[in-house]
Amino acid sequence: MNIDIEGIVKRFGKLEAVSDVTLHIGEGELFTLLGPSGCGKTTILRVVGGFHRPDRGRVLFGGRDVTALPPYERNIGMVFQNYALWPHMRIFDNIAYGLRLRRFSAAEIREKVDRALHLVNLRGLERRYPGELSGGQQQRVALARALVLNPHALLLDEPLSNLDAKIRIQVRAEIRKLQKELGITTLYVTHDQEEALTLSDRIAVLNHGRLQQVGTPHELYEKPQTPFVADFIGINNLIPGKVTALRDGGRGVRVESVVGPLEGTGDERLAPGARCVVCVRPESARIGEEAGAAVNRLSAVVSFPSYIGNTVRYDVDVNGFLFKIDVQNPGGSRELPPGSPVVVCFPTAATLVLPAEGETAAAVEGAE
Amino acid sequence: MSSAAAETVPAGLGVRRLGLSLGGVLGYGAIWAFMAVFLIYPLLHLFYDAFTTEAGELTLANFRDFFTDRFYLRALGNSILLGLGTVVTTSLIGVTFAFLLLRYEFPGRRLFSYLSIVPMIMPPLVGVMGFVFILGRAGTVNILLMDYLGFPRPINFMYGIQGILIVETLHLFPLMTLSIVDAMGKISPSLDEAAESVGARGFRKFWDITFPLTTPGYVSGALLVFIWTFADFATPLVVGVDDLLASQAYLNIVQFVDRRLFKMGIVISAIMVLLAILFLIVAKKYIAIKDYSSLSYSVIERKTLCPLAKGGVVCFLGLILILAFIPYLGIALDSFGKGWALTPFPVQYTLQYFERVAFETPKFIVNSLLYAGISVVICIAIGVPIAWVGARTRLPGREVLDSLTTLILALPGTGIGIAYMRAFREPLPGFEVAFIGLWVVIPVVLGVRRLPYTVRGTYASLQIVHRSYEEAGESVGATRARTFRDITLPLIWKGVLVGSLYSFILALQEASATLLLVVPGHEMMTVGIFNFYIGGSVNEAAALGFLLILLGAACLLIINRLAGTRMGGVFG
Repeated sequence: MNIDIEGIVKRFGKLEAVSDVTLHIGEGELFTLLGPSGCGKTTILRVVGGFHRPDRGRVLFGGRDVTALPPYERNIGMVFQNYALWPHMRIFDNIAYGLRLRRFSAAEIREKVDRALHLVNLRGLERRYPGELSGGQQQRVALARALVLNPHALLLDEPLSNLDAKIRIQVRAEIRKLQKELGITTLYVTHDQEEALTLSDRIAVLNHGRLQQVGTPHELYEKPQTPFVADFIGINNLIPGKVTALRDGGRGVRVESVVGPLEGTGDERLAPGARCVVCVRPESARIGEEAGAAVNRLSAVVSFPSYIGNTVRYDVDVNGFLFKIDVQNPGGSRELPPGSPVVVCFPTAATLVLPAEGETAAAVEGAE
Repeated sequence: MSSAAAETVPAGLGVRRLGLSLGGVLGYGAIWAFMAVFLIYPLLHLFYDAFTTEAGELTLANFRDFFTDRFYLRALGNSILLGLGTVVTTSLIGVTFAFLLLRYEFPGRRLFSYLSIVPMIMPPLVGVMGFVFILGRAGTVNILLMDYLGFPRPINFMYGIQGILIVETLHLFPLMTLSIVDAMGKISPSLDEAAESVGARGFRKFWDITFPLTTPGYVSGALLVFIWTFADFATPLVVGVDDLLASQAYLNIVQFVDRRLFKMGIVISAIMVLLAILFLIVAKKYIAIKDYSSLSYSVIERKTLCPLAKGGVVCFLGLILILAFIPYLGIALDSFGKGWALTPFPVQYTLQYFERVAFETPKFIVNSLLYAGISVVICIAIGVPIAWVGARTRLPGREVLDSLTTLILALPGTGIGIAYMRAFREPLPGFEVAFIGLWVVIPVVLGVRRLPYTVRGTYASLQIVHRSYEEAGESVGATRARTFRDITLPLIWKGVLVGSLYSFILALQEASATLLLVVPGHEMMTVGIFNFYIGGSVNEAAALGFLLILLGAACLLIINRLAGTRMGGVFG
């Protein structure tokens, strides 16, 4: 079943938590709402679940308007951030409760609960109480409880945020596998960009209740549309500047930036004289000997090297701007000490020029 | 000094291992000594008296007498029925109130929320008088019914079990509301939402999910309602009911004619204490295995009701509160009214009764404030350390202290009053008089009886103050005592104060142990009210009652300012 969110607005008192958000989630898709805390992602999820009535806009399940329906008439499976397992019921009863409300026979209930527990790899704990389970186990019970009703859609509200790092990665993979197997339309909320990138078919990035960009993980990482997305997904050097010249309808851009003149690629939203942000990923930049003969060449001084095993991250100082560069597989050679003069360069293809924040929002929504 | 000495003791040795200095050990000992002398010893003495003959021989004959006497058995049955009945009525009203106030938005919600606690400041002794003035045989309602609607006979609202049930219900339902609000407020709303997401709705959701999660709060509320009703003898006596256990205990003890009856009074109070302990153990078991609440209160989005439901809710809450406020009207009319007989309302108004109780014999008010004040000092001196030991240390015996505090909460005032009368009747060594002949006995018994509220208030705030705040204090070099003074105390004083104010209100209103332990010349307001009423000076009783209500209202106002409505934990 596909889900359509049309022009949702939700206010809490004076605060507009969600401002006119429109999204289409396809059948069987794992769609993630990503953003910092307070960006409105959970509010959207709760509007879809029926826990909030939007102030404006509609929610459609498979083309049917469900905006006015209460949660218990939407046939959704919801997994809460704190799992929300009922502490006074055993695991079996937690999962069986929804089935009992639907008046399934005892035998059917037993069979369905068993299948759900099998699905999440968690059998033999039916008689326990939630308090006796580990976080990861509780998480799976919550998932089983949501899935056992064979819901139209699965809604997951930061389901991994209370788990240890190791277990998180394991459960993450299981959720992904399960979702693909069942082919269930899933709306997933997280603030963890890495989690979003690994899990999702598509991601919507939100900030201050507004949609920033919707796209596949690849699109978001490689072609961010706004400085916010460029900054939020992965790591980026964001260099403020001003557009000086354009060619090929903005595909080639010349910029006067705080670190000097740069050349990069942009799009039609740019205009000569407009403020812009130049984005360069640390892994796209080269340093020292291998710098080569690129157009974008900067003289810098190493201010701080950090060794991260397979990578050395250099913070280098270019005219007072701290620029991050990742050098992969440094091998046996030692890091350059602070104070070493270096040459930094990066290809124009990896130099993305975006309009400065505030001139972008309208254009981005059209880009979906 | 002492703490510095303890610092030098190598780790792993003696007191230091327990995290206590020498002064701490002495203080802890003092608390235990207090509990031993003023709680454990009197109770043991009561049981000793109940299980021995006049000559001091061990016997079960007293209990055989009780359980073969049909009158006492009926009284026991009546008392239990009355207690259970009150639990049912207060549950219906209290749970509904709590649920509506917490989960729904309707006009006047805040006002109702505040008003719903107010009935608690009406001591039942005063409340029953107020009801009698309005609903009694010659009360306002019956006069109106007979004079204007031609009823041949007055309707008997008050005189009988039904009257006690009305009074106790309307007095105690706020206790239930507070307990449930507290428990419900601590349940994560996502548990409710999870139920909705799998299809549960309305009453089914409430019955399957919401209510079971509040059981710990509900059970403790129900236990208190039961025991308070069970142990109240003053209310039944005012409406002329004496075939209840508590009334029998009181009547048998205060008569000086029949030794056998006196002994039965002791046996009855021993039975009441035993029953209270039994109920407590059962309830405690139930609560201990089912504590679901988190420590924090969660924010709940209140649902808006449709106009019809809104009207219904407001009418229901309004009706209950109007009933609950009947006694205020009665007390006010009778304390200001003169020559109020056979008319619906007084014909003349006067201040003479206030003059009499406040200026001619001010001792009631002065004694009440003084003794309740001293009792609060005792509560703080003993209760704050008990709470701290329970929340922050692993000292041996802290669980016992916790159980003792809970026991006090459940202990019938009649029982502890009679226990004191028996335990402290011999003259003190070196004195002419016995301890129960000295006025000090009153603040002490009040301090013991109201100790739990201070302990609970303090304990609840200590739990909210995370241990790491204190550890941070210690990490920058503050001693434990210093940390307590500079870090902990500023964070918990509100909780301590709220608990203490509850102790104070309830000490002022105490009308069971104090009615038994009257020291001539040192009577408190409740004693004055009881004696005036029984002696026929109804207006004076009403005037004193009116003043007592004002005092309670003042305290409640301060509590509300300090803590909002989130103070149910004090009773848990």
